[in-house]
Amino acid sequence: MKRDPLKPKGGFHYYLQSTSGVVGAVLLLFMVIVSICAVFGWLPHDPLEQNVLSAMKGPNSHYWFGTDEFGRDVFSRTLDGMRRSLTVSISAVSIAAFFGVILGILSGYLGRWFDQLIVRLSDVIFAFPAILLALAIVSTLGNSWFDTALAIAVVYTPIFIRVARGPVLTVKEMDYVKVTRILGFSSPRILRKHILPNVTAPIVVQIALSLSWAILTESGLSFLGLGTQPPNASLGLMVAEAQPIAVFAWWALFFPSAFITIVVVGLNLVGDGLRDALDPARRSS
Amino acid sequence: MVAGVAFVAPAHAATKDLAVGMVLDIDKLDPHTATSFATVKGLGLVYGSLIELGPKLDIRGGLAASWGFNADSTELRLKLRSGVKFHDGSAFDAQDVIASLNRILDPATKAAARSNIATISSVTGSGLSVTIKLSTSNAAILAALDGVNMAMLSSDDIAAGKIGKTVNGTGPFKYVSWEPGQSVKMVKNETYWKGAPKLDSVTFRIIPSEASILSALNAGTIQFAVITSPTVAQQVGKNLTLFKTPSLNYVALQLNARVAPLNNVNVRLAMQCAISRSEVVTTASAGEGKVIGPITSPAYASDPNDRPCPNVDLVKAKKYLTEAGYPNGLTIKTIVAPTQFATASGTAQSLKAQLAKVGINLELDIVDDSTFVSRWLAADFQTAVANNGGRIDPDTMYTRYFPSTGNLNKVAGYSSPTLDALFLKGKQTGRATERKVIYKQISEELENNAVWIWLFAPNEYRAAAKNVTGFIPLATGSLIELRSVDLK
Amino acid sequence: MSFRERTSRILLSAPVLRLSSIITTLFGISIFVFLVLRVIPGDSIVGAFGIETGVLTPDQIAELKVYYGIDKSLPMQYLSWIQSFLSGNMGYSYSTGISVASLTAKSLPVTIELALIGTILGVVMGIAIGTFSARKPGSIRDFGGQLFGLLALAVPGFVLSTAIVTVMANKFHYFPNGYEFVRPWEDPWMNFQQMMFPGLVLGIAVAAPVMRTTRSALLETIDKDFVRTAIGKGVNSRKVQSRHILRNSLIPIVTMTGIQFGYLLGGAVIVENIFSLPGMGRQVLYAINKREYATVQSSVMIFAILFITINVITDLIYRKIDPRIKK
Repeated sequence: MKRDPLKPKGGFHYYLQSTSGVVGAVLLLFMVIVSICAVFGWLPHDPLEQNVLSAMKGPNSHYWFGTDEFGRDVFSRTLDGMRRSLTVSISAVSIAAFFGVILGILSGYLGRWFDQLIVRLSDVIFAFPAILLALAIVSTLGNSWFDTALAIAVVYTPIFIRVARGPVLTVKEMDYVKVTRILGFSSPRILRKHILPNVTAPIVVQIALSLSWAILTESGLSFLGLGTQPPNASLGLMVAEAQPIAVFAWWALFFPSAFITIVVVGLNLVGDGLRDALDPARRSS
Repeated sequence: MVAGVAFVAPAHAATKDLAVGMVLDIDKLDPHTATSFATVKGLGLVYGSLIELGPKLDIRGGLAASWGFNADSTELRLKLRSGVKFHDGSAFDAQDVIASLNRILDPATKAAARSNIATISSVTGSGLSVTIKLSTSNAAILAALDGVNMAMLSSDDIAAGKIGKTVNGTGPFKYVSWEPGQSVKMVKNETYWKGAPKLDSVTFRIIPSEASILSALNAGTIQFAVITSPTVAQQVGKNLTLFKTPSLNYVALQLNARVAPLNNVNVRLAMQCAISRSEVVTTASAGEGKVIGPITSPAYASDPNDRPCPNVDLVKAKKYLTEAGYPNGLTIKTIVAPTQFATASGTAQSLKAQLAKVGINLELDIVDDSTFVSRWLAADFQTAVANNGGRIDPDTMYTRYFPSTGNLNKVAGYSSPTLDALFLKGKQTGRATERKVIYKQISEELENNAVWIWLFAPNEYRAAAKNVTGFIPLATGSLIELRSVDLK
Repeated sequence: MSFRERTSRILLSAPVLRLSSIITTLFGISIFVFLVLRVIPGDSIVGAFGIETGVLTPDQIAELKVYYGIDKSLPMQYLSWIQSFLSGNMGYSYSTGISVASLTAKSLPVTIELALIGTILGVVMGIAIGTFSARKPGSIRDFGGQLFGLLALAVPGFVLSTAIVTVMANKFHYFPNGYEFVRPWEDPWMNFQQMMFPGLVLGIAVAAPVMRTTRSALLETIDKDFVRTAIGKGVNSRKVQSRHILRNSLIPIVTMTGIQFGYLLGGAVIVENIFSLPGMGRQVLYAINKREYATVQSSVMIFAILFITINVITDLIYRKIDPRIKK
């Protein structure tokens, strides 16, 4: 996610100077470690295992975060849920960023009818209710985590198109680029040397922000029954399932909500830190 | 306020208005085609039927005061209650009965209860006498005359094509207005045949989340509620009254025995033996619900233990699997719509966890209501987690499903000459003792072949504020007894 | 100027181009929503009859298809819908027998009221906290303000809504949304109480980005030379803040507000559900469930038109405020 050798030199150094960036990175790292544990199955219990006799018990030494109404370990499910939420978000944003940036740059660079077409299409998606879109995708393609990621990706692609296109338009108008084109330098070279560096910074920041929104979107979709499907654990689904029993079992609602909050806060802080690091003129603290 | 003059409160008492909370809105005004639970409950207060089923599902007179069969039960003569008026003031008589029954029988109406009274060949009468001729002897027809789908409508309204546009019934409450998505308002019918209700008005308020319904009850903004989720029902506190009645509906894992791998009876039996129905009740339904066999009609109820595996038996399950040729298990898909009924998702998850113990991977295909229905109708599934309606008569309960000529036989996914013969016999036999034997055989045939996996019958819940008195819940789910309710 | 030059001047002028692009977008949306609905399994008949569809005869189904308007080919269905829509007929909701126009006339004001309250609350809270933070960057106040911004962003709306309802109704027996929804002109006080909590939940969600935008915009502007000059000239610092800084910081705030309002108009479905508000969100969701094609299509078009209108208005305000933008 944080890649790019074209970043201005010393960016990392600036990043470390930003408190929010560091705090965010720490929180995010914690969540990533937690997810890796889940990926390798280093969890105290199987997230899907039902143990009817231990249902709805509060946090104790055996079940650190308590159990839900099926007797499943909330701790293991929260970690597994974090993994799934991150997987869905990262996939969704990667797809959206990949297609969005390519389309945005091409659109801005090539201009004319292609640009108009892309901008129109992205406006259409932008003005379209996300729920309907998600329902359509889920109904036709299925509802595995990948289909959810696809639904979210479609909704977020316009944003990346917009963010990528803007700097391209600005740069295209700059004299030195016009001169370069007249002089006959190849387009790929112009793209690489002049356009990409200006697009990178806002894109990287947008990626961090979109990741945080994607986690919230996924939890919202799961809440409505359109996201991750039971019995798999995802933070949003856990909150939805915990809602009716919240009065009896606060832990089933609290821990997934807390994890959502922490990871979203972390991603936003990382976004801030990146913004500070990559664009010194906009530093906020 | 003038000094010295005491302020006297007006002499009349405040009106008794009952606000009822429901998650779903009614979806139409035509009682004959009403199927959604909200519509059935709502319209059930403004319309009346010839027969009413009491709290013990006993047959009582509604708009019919008395009745009698001829010797071979091919003719039913009814004496209508006198002095009954529709809400618009017109009198209720045999003309209305004839017009209403004919409307239900007319295929163009697409009435939900048509197949239940399909044995009616003609309806005649005048004044307060009605004669119903049946094509074959059918004593069960009496019970089939109950319910909002059998509502008696005014013959004038039918002729004028007003059904579904205006609401004119004989029920204890008079329809006032419907604000879609928000509320249905009704006021008391002063000329109701059983006596004017004590309540002045009833308003159904649509509150889309059951948790919010409970909150509204606790806050006192509604005084009565229909609750479908057992988890929410469990949270009803001592400050409210909870009415719990076992429902005739049943939750089952429908198996499509016409597609592989379920066409192999051993696979189906393996599933039957791997599932503990009581565990499903505990996990999915918060322990509320009754383990049942195929037939839930009280007089003919199946013995839940009358099957190859009355209790979970993993060893036997694995044996069946091996015999079927799947010693290492297999993957089976199921469709489930979480929004269709409260315990859908929980049931699917419990089944998945249990079947995993014998190596069966139950893949959950989670879809929305309309998608589920459209695939269900097309039998486009291997298995389906379903909540189907039960009836007080076992014939009407399954006549659409298992006889090979049933409209929904495709959905049922199974038929056999044995079942066909048994169902035919059941229709023709009049005597209760003989019928019980026949339907017991049907039940055994269904369970021995693990045609479906019948799980449990959920409860129906109503919650009321403490000052609501006199309510009697009915197993059919009808709220008709609000006619006797008082607000203290 | 020749006729040709004059015509092309008009046709290619900014407002005309803008209008034509809006129309194209709207057409795109209409086609998109039409197709998306047809792709989802199940049709209006299944939506209306449920499992009873299984007992309908083929003749009855053919008859119903004509009734629901789904017997014609897809292009024909689209054309017939878009034609009616453009002439003001948005179609019928078959279950209620009420026209989509009437349904929308009742539900849209609810959603607009909710969106307005949410946006206003959010903007006021956001600007207040953002200003509060920006006065002393790096201080405890700033930290507190930023923390609020982050939490407001990160706690999901449905968690907050559920918590509010559970606590208010069960502990304090206060649940105005348990009563029938009343319009502002019917009973202003009751209406306010019913909009209060959902508006607050949405407001908090809006406040977060507004707060951060305000804060960074203020900090940027404070840095600028002309402000320093003003302070140097001895102008009262309070006055400097309110007049110079705020006006220049308005641009990103206005843009942000416009985006948020348009977003909220999309029918904050979850909030409408939990607080039983009869708005557009619920209308669309219900219609999707019942596959009432006309209702969904027309409602989505209405929303899109509003959304685009808001964008245009925001854009115009933006141009008015920012003197640097050339036409």
